[in-house]
Amino acid sequence: MHLFFEQLLNGIAMGSIYALVTLGLALVYGILRILHVAHAAVYTVGSYVGLFIFQATGSLLLAFLGGMVFCAGLGILIERFIYFPLLKYPPYVPLIASIAVMLAIEEVCRLIAGPYILTFPAKLPFPELHLGTITLSSTLVAVYVITAIVLLLLWLVTTKTEMGLAMRATSQDIAIADAMGINSHFVVTVTFIIGSAIAAIAGILVGIYYNQVYPTMGTVPAYKTLALIVVGGLGSVPGAVVASLLLGLGETLLIGYANVPLPRDALAFIAMIGVLMWRSEGLLGSR
Amino acid sequence: MTQPLLKVTGLSKRFGGLQAVRKVDFQAHSKEILGILGPNGAGKTVCFNLISGVYPPTAGEIIFDLERLDGMPPHQVAARGIGRTFQIVKPFSHLTVLENVLVARGISHYGSLTRIWSTWRSRQDQDAALNILERVGLDGLAHRKAGLLPLGNLRRLEIARALLVGRKLILLDECFSGLRHEEIARLEELIRNIRQDGITVLLIEHNMRVTMGLCDRIVVLDHGAKIAEGEPEAIQNNERVIEAYLGRKRKGSHAA
Amino acid sequence: MSSYVITIATIIIINAISVCGLNVIVGYAGQISLGHAAFFGIGAYTAALLATKAGISFWAALPCVITISASIGLLLGIPSLRVRDDFLAITTIGINFIVEAVFLYIPFFGGALGIGGIPRIMLFGSKLRGMGFFWLCLFFLVLVLAFCWWFTRSWAGLACFALREEESAANSMGISPVRIKLLAFMIGTAIAGLGGALYAHYMRFISATDFSFPVSIAFLSMLVLGGMGSLWGPVLGALILGILPELFRPIVEYRILVYTLLLLLMIRFQPGGLLGEVSFLRKRLVPLLKGLKP
Repeated sequence: MHLFFEQLLNGIAMGSIYALVTLGLALVYGILRILHVAHAAVYTVGSYVGLFIFQATGSLLLAFLGGMVFCAGLGILIERFIYFPLLKYPPYVPLIASIAVMLAIEEVCRLIAGPYILTFPAKLPFPELHLGTITLSSTLVAVYVITAIVLLLLWLVTTKTEMGLAMRATSQDIAIADAMGINSHFVVTVTFIIGSAIAAIAGILVGIYYNQVYPTMGTVPAYKTLALIVVGGLGSVPGAVVASLLLGLGETLLIGYANVPLPRDALAFIAMIGVLMWRSEGLLGSR
Repeated sequence: MTQPLLKVTGLSKRFGGLQAVRKVDFQAHSKEILGILGPNGAGKTVCFNLISGVYPPTAGEIIFDLERLDGMPPHQVAARGIGRTFQIVKPFSHLTVLENVLVARGISHYGSLTRIWSTWRSRQDQDAALNILERVGLDGLAHRKAGLLPLGNLRRLEIARALLVGRKLILLDECFSGLRHEEIARLEELIRNIRQDGITVLLIEHNMRVTMGLCDRIVVLDHGAKIAEGEPEAIQNNERVIEAYLGRKRKGSHAA
Repeated sequence: MSSYVITIATIIIINAISVCGLNVIVGYAGQISLGHAAFFGIGAYTAALLATKAGISFWAALPCVITISASIGLLLGIPSLRVRDDFLAITTIGINFIVEAVFLYIPFFGGALGIGGIPRIMLFGSKLRGMGFFWLCLFFLVLVLAFCWWFTRSWAGLACFALREEESAANSMGISPVRIKLLAFMIGTAIAGLGGALYAHYMRFISATDFSFPVSIAFLSMLVLGGMGSLWGPVLGALILGILPELFRPIVEYRILVYTLLLLLMIRFQPGGLLGEVSFLRKRLVPLLKGLKP
């Protein structure tokens, strides 16, 4: 029983991290209908930048902020120089470009920081919690809290602010949003900023959680998040979050608790195909 | 009175909350040119889409040549000899004009797992395709990439393709829009020739002069329902039709 | 020719065959496939298993390889069609991962150790190696190219092109999208399977990671680079991306970076590929070649 609850909590943490990484992908897809695979590379860069700033200054806060800023900038560069000129082509063109960008960025990380796994020995300023016999490490608590804050802020921005309204309008129909006087390109830029900054947070959290930072740490999330936005329903951000949590729970419980001999990484895709067979728009998708 | 070639009964189509077509009945007889008129949003193209199989009706029956069409996918409807043009032209842009027409010529081959492997470059097929291009006046542009053509020529290309597919019935959706004067006259003549060949034509059109001149009978739709049916002169003087197009007369004012 | 050159050349030919298959799916029929390596792998494992566990020669196994690759293509193609365009790309990626997982985790396929000891291909009593094997692969490439050439001249090919250009218009001309897409998919996967079988007998040892997602991306890159929908595009793409890493051998460290940057530049500025419709190459070369005619 103890193991079950432990794995349950791990699963939620896993799901939360997936949610943070998937959010950016879901936001970008919602607005540009582009599969921003390179998002995983932004996440990796966020982890490295956060690590370097932490190593240089000893401050986790600066690490987070620096990572967010750097990644936001990277996201803008990708959007402006890669996606924007390719919007007029069929969708596989920006997809291939995105994959190429991801591989290139991973390589740059490898060349600069070396192929070895670096450690991220930071302590997140959150307390350890004790629930009965179960101890939640400060990192675990940090993941819950930070994810909750990010989701809350995102929800507030998209539902309560004008920019949020503009974002929702633009993701519904970019041409009409333009016609209504919304500067759609600015909205797209803001979306990338938000998504990339959240990716940076996710990257740093993962780096600390597993105490590992390495160039290809984005590869597996890249593909999983793709499956996740499909399961959640392409274009649905809440769907992506729900799917992420479910996958995190599913993976951890099935493999960590029930010891089902399924390959962990293929589980996301198996789940995806299962959901698609049942409901071809995904869990919370429309149209 | 012979059996109508096309019989539409109680045809209805609902899109979510929108009732696009409601309980429409009409018939088209062999070698007839039937006009489908109505203000924008009346449901005319939706009717065409229902007949050609783009989506199934919510209710009603479509009987063509004694066979039920409703619910049949477009490629099967086409195989029954029904061709159509689209309101927004859909050329195969990277193929040449000739190849565009050849695609339509292949209709008898696509369904068969053996015939689909034969070549489309035979003399016979090329000549047949060129023939059709001559009829619509596009033979000079046979080897031009379709994507480079101006709208007028693209409309003619649509008709050429529809001609090859529609050996019994052709649905023309606003094929006169955007055409210049001479082109309109040529197209009118072409449609009359089509009728000579024994092909029935359903025509959606906004150009009144053309419609009244070409059509044997006219069906008028408004807000998805049929409001009038009859010969051109009768339709022109039909009060409900005039109201639908021009809006209600204000109380006390005189008719225009 | 040194054996080094022959090795590179043979791999290029095998890749070209696989990419020809991808070209039918993506170039001719306009469908997305980001999991092509899975079918390359299915062909490889089928050939490997038949050769090692059943002692069946390559030639006898060939019809089986092609049939199985096409059948699984059909099987996986059907649910793929139910799925909307954007989903399709991801579904094909998923197929790649799942197939790789099957090879990796099911003991029958050798698990993580893969399958080894695959015998060489015998022709007229002698084992094919080196130059001999190269000619065999070239023979199959020519066969595949001839088939593709025929395909583009057949109604099936024309139907694919029409479907790629305007699906609804093609539908209204008697072309069943489901049938034709599946047909193209099956042909593409069958050809990939053939490439995989050659690969298995060449490497003589295969494992699941030989057919993972990055390999699918490599195939797609070759197709994109060479020019989708053109007959020689796959060959050109396989050639360039096969030679390039060797040219950059001196700067091994930066190889992958240069490779990906090249792909990025290519897709950013010439998405149609080198032999594509409006490519730089076509615009300059074609008038030049035409000018050479008497």
